[in-house]
Amino acid sequence: MAYSTRARQHCSHCASVRKERVAHSRPVTLFNGMRLNDALQIAGRIGGIGKRSVHLLCGFTPLHLQTYVKAYLRLRFPEVSIQVLPGLYGDLEGNLERALGQSADGVIAVIEWADLDQRLGFRGNGGWRSQTIDDIVAQTEEKCSRLQMKLEALAQKIPVTLISPTLPLPPLTQNSPVQTSKLELRLNSILGEFLLKVSGCGGIRLMSASRLAASSPHHTRHDVKMELATGFPYSLPHADELARLGVRCLFPDEPKKGLITDLDQTLWKGILGDLGANGVSWSVEDKSQIHALYQQLLDSLAESGVLVAIASKNDFSLVNEALSRTDLLIRPESIYPVEAGWWPKSESVRRILKAWNIGAGSVVYIDDSQMELSEVAEKFPQIECLLFPSSDSAGILALLKHLREIFGRTEIREEDRLRVASLRASNEMHTDVSEAHSDEFIARLQAKLTFEDSQAASGRAFELVNKTNQFNLNGLRFTEAEWHMRFSRPDSFLTTVSYEDRFGPLGRIAVVGGSCQGNHCVVDIFVLSCRAFSRHIEFQILRRLFEKSGAESVLFVFKPTERNGPIQAYLSQFGSLQNTAAGGLEVSSEAFVKACPKLHHEVIEKWTM
Amino acid sequence: MDDVEIREKLLKCFSAVFPELNPVDIQSANIENTSGWDSIAHVTLLTLVSEEFGVEVDFEKFESAISFSAFLILIAETASPGCS
Repeated sequence: MAYSTRARQHCSHCASVRKERVAHSRPVTLFNGMRLNDALQIAGRIGGIGKRSVHLLCGFTPLHLQTYVKAYLRLRFPEVSIQVLPGLYGDLEGNLERALGQSADGVIAVIEWADLDQRLGFRGNGGWRSQTIDDIVAQTEEKCSRLQMKLEALAQKIPVTLISPTLPLPPLTQNSPVQTSKLELRLNSILGEFLLKVSGCGGIRLMSASRLAASSPHHTRHDVKMELATGFPYSLPHADELARLGVRCLFPDEPKKGLITDLDQTLWKGILGDLGANGVSWSVEDKSQIHALYQQLLDSLAESGVLVAIASKNDFSLVNEALSRTDLLIRPESIYPVEAGWWPKSESVRRILKAWNIGAGSVVYIDDSQMELSEVAEKFPQIECLLFPSSDSAGILALLKHLREIFGRTEIREEDRLRVASLRASNEMHTDVSEAHSDEFIARLQAKLTFEDSQAASGRAFELVNKTNQFNLNGLRFTEAEWHMRFSRPDSFLTTVSYEDRFGPLGRIAVVGGSCQGNHCVVDIFVLSCRAFSRHIEFQILRRLFEKSGAESVLFVFKPTERNGPIQAYLSQFGSLQNTAAGGLEVSSEAFVKACPKLHHEVIEKWTM
Repeated sequence: MDDVEIREKLLKCFSAVFPELNPVDIQSANIENTSGWDSIAHVTLLTLVSEEFGVEVDFEKFESAISFSAFLILIAETASPGCS
């Protein structure tokens, strides 16, 4: 398979598991994850300037879990110092409360059954008599409700990854282990309800139990000997995997933005040129259902804002005919653009990237032909090229799961739904008339800008600031915790700007933030989505800033980056960027008025300063 | 596994837990003269020994192993040929 996933079910591990079953001893530490020795060395590496602090909160001794968490944080953030802050033994609730008073970039909270009631753990001596069962249930219910309050309070301030019980219950009921006990059902029901409630709270991400089970099988997780001797309950492989997924859940990778797919033997079964538009298939009846699953996944990705395009060596009109079939499971309007022709695939990819205006590193290309993948990879080494293994259903399913991982998002916003339509409209706008960008053309756009206060918790503003490269004042990136702290200052402001014109809405496309005191204004956040270039929006924002604040000058905390050429070009209209080392570029209202073109936007203001 | 191999592997374990010690110091290390040799470091050492030598470590037996040389003796007794 062309893509890499971390397989954890290896022969040596299975052999050790078999050995464990026979010997009834603790799991032997032969596995293919990160060895504790390696974790210690990685965790011990010295970081650079800056720091990432993470609370690791649990009721047991975190011991090796702490080492692994530190090691994975070190790998995730190689350039900063790493601090893992553990809590006190046996006091998960208190640990959550104490963390509320300390600043950090995130929390990994691990709940095991013993945290809900000590009698559900292996180090408790409260008895397993039948009359205690009701009390255990009542206690668990009460504890869940208290934990919910503590977690929600903490998540208002710091992002939290929550890990629900991963270990088995002790054999505390009189049922044979082959029969599920009522106690287990009741406990799972209470737990499920609790998890459902906290999952609805912004700022809390639950680690997937099924994802964990795929790489850390239940029977290899518990190290009872270690737990009884030291208070640390996990086998090394389990601690390793828990830490790896916990860090990934707390600090997910930036999701990919676009997917380019081939058609024949990929989006559908069959060769379009041979079979015609009605001959290609994606159904159970035609033994091509796996392509239907692929189409459904693409449709779902497109709905979440992922850009989907087609690169196919085919006759364009034939492709259009096939894409017009009413039984297609991806909506044709979700696909943009369609590049079909007899030129090299890399040429189609080049055109698609141009239409999308995004970097190759944010894109995935999928094809059933290794040769085509190689050709594209050679021209665009940053693109993740994935083989569609058309005759291997299990391989395709693995591919679909992989796509979910790399495109996974925690939240879908209105802008995500608008993305394809606005891109299409934007490209149409630029080809609509030859005088695009001219004053007359911009005047005819009937553009409307809406300025709104953005709360620190605004996900869209946070996302836009963290992902915009080209029109970005200084390339600053924030963690969620830093973002919250950044806007707790009373004199600070943060404004989002939405845009729409006769071609349709673009959604929230700009963020400007900073602080104002007297007649002086400092702007340290200024980003504009590349979809909204060439409409003079950046001038309107600055004009409103001058008018609203009454400032005589605005200091832009500008820093050149490799990719922020567009904002450099914009700012250089007001003064030289050569002398910006000492704090930024000062723009006077006079210099602004001199450089500002005629503006035609209708402006709706719902912001304060 | 011969004595040299055991010594080298054990040095690796000690070095991971006490990275500030050089190989010469490690060989004379004990709980008294090594800062940071607390209960957590001890359990980490035991787990590393288990990982490195592929053996199951008896916590009670190793509780009294409070020096590099004591570890060496106990591992030689525990590690049977071919178990790693």
